[in-house]
Amino acid sequence: MHYVIIGNGVAGINAANSLRNYDDEAKITIISYETEHHFSRTALMYVLCGQLSEQCVEPFERDHYEKMGFKRINDKVSKLDPDANKLTLESGKTVQFDKLLIACGSLPAMYGWPGSELDGVGNFVTWQDLQWLKEKAKTAKKAVVVGGGLIGIETVEVLLLAGIEVTFLVREDFYWPVALNETEGTIIAEHIRHHKVNLRLKTEFAEILGKDGKVIGVKTGDGETINCELVVICVGVRPQTDWLKDSGVALDERGGIIADDNLQTNYDNIFTAGDCAAVMWFNNVRRPEQLWYTGRDQGRIVASNLIGMKKIYKRGTFYNSAKFFDIEYTTAGLVNFKLDGEKNFFSHEEGTYYTVRITYLADNTVVGFNMLGRRWDHRVLVNWVDEKRQLEWVLKHLHEALYDEEFMPTFTLNQKVS
Amino acid sequence: MQNSLMSTYNSPLKSKGMIAWVLSFLLFAFYLLIYFTNIPDSWANFVGLESKWNLYGVLYTISIVAGGLFFINTHGNSRYQKFRTFTLIFFQIIFAFSIPEIMGLFESKGFNFAKFWPLGIDLFNPKYIFEYPLLIIVYTFIGSLIVAPILTLLYGKRWYCSWVCGCGGLAETAGDPFRQLSSKSVKAWKFEQISIHTVLLLAILSTSLVIINWGLHFENSAGEWVTNYATFDLIASKIQGTYQFLVVAMLSGVLGVGLYPLMGSRVWCRFFCPMAALLGLIQKFGRFRITVKDEMCISCGNCSTYCEMGIDVRAYAQTNQDFKRASCVGCGMCAHVCPRGVLRLENKWDFRDTSDKEKRKVFDF
Repeated sequence: MHYVIIGNGVAGINAANSLRNYDDEAKITIISYETEHHFSRTALMYVLCGQLSEQCVEPFERDHYEKMGFKRINDKVSKLDPDANKLTLESGKTVQFDKLLIACGSLPAMYGWPGSELDGVGNFVTWQDLQWLKEKAKTAKKAVVVGGGLIGIETVEVLLLAGIEVTFLVREDFYWPVALNETEGTIIAEHIRHHKVNLRLKTEFAEILGKDGKVIGVKTGDGETINCELVVICVGVRPQTDWLKDSGVALDERGGIIADDNLQTNYDNIFTAGDCAAVMWFNNVRRPEQLWYTGRDQGRIVASNLIGMKKIYKRGTFYNSAKFFDIEYTTAGLVNFKLDGEKNFFSHEEGTYYTVRITYLADNTVVGFNMLGRRWDHRVLVNWVDEKRQLEWVLKHLHEALYDEEFMPTFTLNQKVS
Repeated sequence: MQNSLMSTYNSPLKSKGMIAWVLSFLLFAFYLLIYFTNIPDSWANFVGLESKWNLYGVLYTISIVAGGLFFINTHGNSRYQKFRTFTLIFFQIIFAFSIPEIMGLFESKGFNFAKFWPLGIDLFNPKYIFEYPLLIIVYTFIGSLIVAPILTLLYGKRWYCSWVCGCGGLAETAGDPFRQLSSKSVKAWKFEQISIHTVLLLAILSTSLVIINWGLHFENSAGEWVTNYATFDLIASKIQGTYQFLVVAMLSGVLGVGLYPLMGSRVWCRFFCPMAALLGLIQKFGRFRITVKDEMCISCGNCSTYCEMGIDVRAYAQTNQDFKRASCVGCGMCAHVCPRGVLRLENKWDFRDTSDKEKRKVFDF
C-alpha cells in the first residue's frame, strides 16, 4: 500500500508517524516544497528574534524520516487526477498513490490592496516569510503591521526587538474581539502601548504607497499617510487549495476541502487534515479550523482512517491559549458568542494583568472561561463546562484549575458582574 | 517572551562563536593551572590571600553572586526562579565560603556543610572524616544516607542540584547564558546513562576500598598506622588517587567548567556527577515530576532548547506525557519559558502514567 501525504506540517507529519505505528511495511511518501524538515510554524517569531535557532524549532531529530522510513519529495504538487490516482508535480514528475492525504495547509490571506506587490510588503506565516522578514528587519527603520490577531501581535513583538519602530493597525474597536471582550482587549492594548508600539485601533487599511517599486508608506481609511519601509500583513490565512479547483475534490466557499466525519473527501481514497480541511466545529459549522492542536489531532485520526479503521473526528469543547507580549491567555468553552441571557463574572486583580472571566447562562450554568495573566489548566476548565457546573460551585473550586509556577501567590477575586 | 533570551542565537558568545572558543580555552587553562601547578599561589599572595584555593573560593563565590543577580534581574519575574537563585547564593556565601573560613579562624579545619557523599568522595573516607568532631561526622552520615534521599523522594533532586549544590550553583548563575548548548540528541542521552552510572560505580568502589583498607590498618606498638596487606593498600590508594585525578579534578573542574561555552553549563552534572546519578535514581521513585497539559503544546522547542540537562522536553509535551527523568535537576526553566504554560513542576505521589507504548516506538523512548 502506498500512502502519499501532501504537506509536511503538523497534520502531515503526525499522520505519517501514526501510519507507521499502525503499519511497519507501508510505503509512505511525504511531498512538500516549504522545508526539508518538519518545523513548528508557531515558533517562527522565536527564530526571528534569536531566542531559538532554526534547528531548535524542528520537533524531531534530523534523521526522523530515514528512521521512520518516510520518503521525502521536495516538490510542489500542481495537479491531482483522482480517477487515475495520480499526482503531477511542478518538476513534471508524476506520483502514483493508493491512498492520498491532502494536508497542504494554508497561505496568508491577501485582499488585493493596491500596492501589495511592492518590495517590502509581505506576511509572516511560511519559512520563506521568515527568511524574507529576517532580511528586511536588518535595514528597516519603520514598519506597519496590519491585522489585530495573534500573528499580528507576534510580528509586532519581534520587529520591536529588532529595534524597529512599529505601527500596529487594527480595524476593530478594541484588540482581538474574536477572543477578548472590551475590558480584556483594553488591558492588552495598554500593554502593547506600554511596549512603545504605536497601536491604532479602529483604523482601516486602504493602500500601500510606493516609489521605484519599494514601499514608502501606507494610507489608512481616513486618508492619513504613515511612512514606513516595511509592511507585514497579518489578516489571517486561507486554505492553500487553488491547485485543486478543477480536480473534482469538493471545496467549500472558503476554499477548504470538505471533510466528512472520517476526514474523508468526496473520493474514497482521498483524505484531508489540518488547515486546508473544512471540518465540523464545536458549534456544528463546517469550516477550516487553523489551530496547531486541531491539526495534530486531525493528523493522528486521519491516519487510522487511511488504514481503514473508521475513526470519527469529533471536536470537543473549544479551548486555546496564547501569549500577548508577557501576558498569557487561556480560554475554554464559549465566551464570545453572546448567547441568550449570558452573564459574565469578571475579576481583575489590582495592579496586575491577571483577569478571570466566567461566562454563565441565566440558570447559572457556566459555559466558558477567559483568563489573562495567570496560567490555568484548560483540562479542568473544559471538564467543568462539559459537566455544566454552576457558577457558585466553579468559584468555590476555581483554585483547582490554577496552573501557575510554584511559589506564585494564589488569586483573589473581586467580583464584578456584567 | 523572555527578554533576556531573545538574542541568544544572535550572540556569538552564546552560540559557539569565536569568542566562546576563546573563553573555553581560557577556562581550561585556568583550571589546569589551579589543579596541577602552584603558579596561582603567587596570584593569591598578590591579592593578599593565603593559597590558590582561597583565591579559587573567592572567584567562585563572586561568579555565583554576580551571575545570580544577573539571572534574577532577567528571570526574576518567576518566583520559583527567584527563590532557587537566592538559595544558591545563600548556600555558596554562607555554607561553602564563610563557615569554613570562620572555622579556620578558630583553628579548626574548615568544613562545607552543603556537601554530601558521593559528591564529596572523601566524606566517607575514615581517615579524612574522623579528623572532624563527632557532630560533623554524624551530620555527614545522616545527611548523605538518610536526609538527602528523603528530600529527593519528596521534592526531587532539585532540592540539592539546583537549590543548594555549589557545582549546580555556578551552572545556574554564571553558567546560565550557556544552558541552551546542551545536546538534545538521543545519542547524548545514551552516553549520559552509561557515563554517569559508571562514575557512580567508581565512586562506590573507591569508597568501599578505602573503608576496607582503613579497617585493615591498625596501630602497632611503635604507634605507627600500618597494615599487613601491603598490595591491597597499594591498589586501594591507586584507585582512590585515580578517582581524585580523573573525576574530581578533570571531570568536575577542568572539563565541567571548561566546556561551559561549548557544551552548556551542566556537562559535569549531566554526564559525570555521582551525586546526581544517585539522587537521579531515587528521583525516579519520588513525588517530583513534570506535568504536561494535554494538547496545548505548540512544539516551539523553547523547553528543550533551554533545558540545561539536554532533556528533549518537547518530545513529552507534544505527546501529552507527564514525565520523570533521572537527570532532571528541576531548574524549572522549561516551564518558565513555555509560551503556552504547558509544563509545571509538581510534587504529588500519584503519577498519571501517560506513556504510550505505541508512541514510544515513534519517539524512541
